[in-house]
Amino acid sequence: MAGLSPSERRLQKELMSLVKEPPPGVTVDSDVIERNLLQWLINMDGASGTLYEGENFQLQFKFSNKYPFDSPEVTFVGPNIPVHPHVYSNGHICLSILTDDWSPALSVQAVCLSIVSMLSSCKEKKRPPDNAFYVKTCNKNPKKTKWWYHDDSV
Amino acid sequence: MASSASSSTGSSKKIDANGGPDTADKEEKKEDRTFECNICLDTARDAVVSMCGHLFCWPCLHQWLETRPSRQVCPVCKAAISKEKVVPLYGRGSTKQEDPREKVPPRPAGQRTEPEGGSTFPGFGFGDTGFHMSFGIGAFPFGFFTSTFNFGDARPGAAPHGTPQHLEEQYLSKLFLWLAVLFIFWLLLA
Repeated sequence: MAGLSPSERRLQKELMSLVKEPPPGVTVDSDVIERNLLQWLINMDGASGTLYEGENFQLQFKFSNKYPFDSPEVTFVGPNIPVHPHVYSNGHICLSILTDDWSPALSVQAVCLSIVSMLSSCKEKKRPPDNAFYVKTCNKNPKKTKWWYHDDSV
Repeated sequence: MASSASSSTGSSKKIDANGGPDTADKEEKKEDRTFECNICLDTARDAVVSMCGHLFCWPCLHQWLETRPSRQVCPVCKAAISKEKVVPLYGRGSTKQEDPREKVPPRPAGQRTEPEGGSTFPGFGFGDTGFHMSFGIGAFPFGFFTSTFNFGDARPGAAPHGTPQHLEEQYLSKLFLWLAVLFIFWLLLA
């Protein structure tokens, strides 16, 4: 572990605990991540008994060297972006803990669990109402978006 | 004998290295994690604890408070938190400061309050500093004819014999003695 920056040290620890006790349906390829600790690819299965049962998603986490004081940049990537009222078709997620409510005591594990639970509590698969406009105008980095968190139900 | 002792106490960090983690190792590891900083996930150094009871390294918590100066909340439970209201933890042998990650103001000091004093009479105390007693006739605002006996109190000693100061002190002491005698006389006659 010598020679790692403080954020990499912490990510290394998080990776170890995520491999050991992953949230349900979450898998990581730790060998790939260990090559670049600042960018993770995570596989997520839709929880059984929910609208997303049987689907597979890929989440991308990008960390700055200010992590964990700075929140990670989390987006859905790959061929299957979940259809959800808080997930835009470009993979951006409207979730308060990813910006305003971020805390350094949160972790990749906690974020994954939040996203699994956000998907699981969905009652109707649909895109956000402003999807078309947002996807055309937004920055590539979802953290640059000024999100409005108004819906706590899903 | 020696080998069994070393296996139970030796490795607390590298659990995975020696195959099957036995229960002692597991417990030890759990104990380790209890004292991990909630931010860097290492064992807390220069440890402080918030009023809500959450443990952090002081450099870590300080950096978080600097990150969001307008909204200072506990990273774990989001309770209000401030620099003034964290308590440093002083474990045994943890006084030496290890290299702080970067320039950080010193960890806030612990607050000590003295226990409430006993019910001793202030002018007549048999403390451990020496016996102290005073009596006199006082006329507010001037204390006339007040003498004090002090044993064990630290006071400047008398000047050595022969010096001008010694002579002067002798003269003054005689003068005041006569003044006192005259005063008592006057009191008796009046």
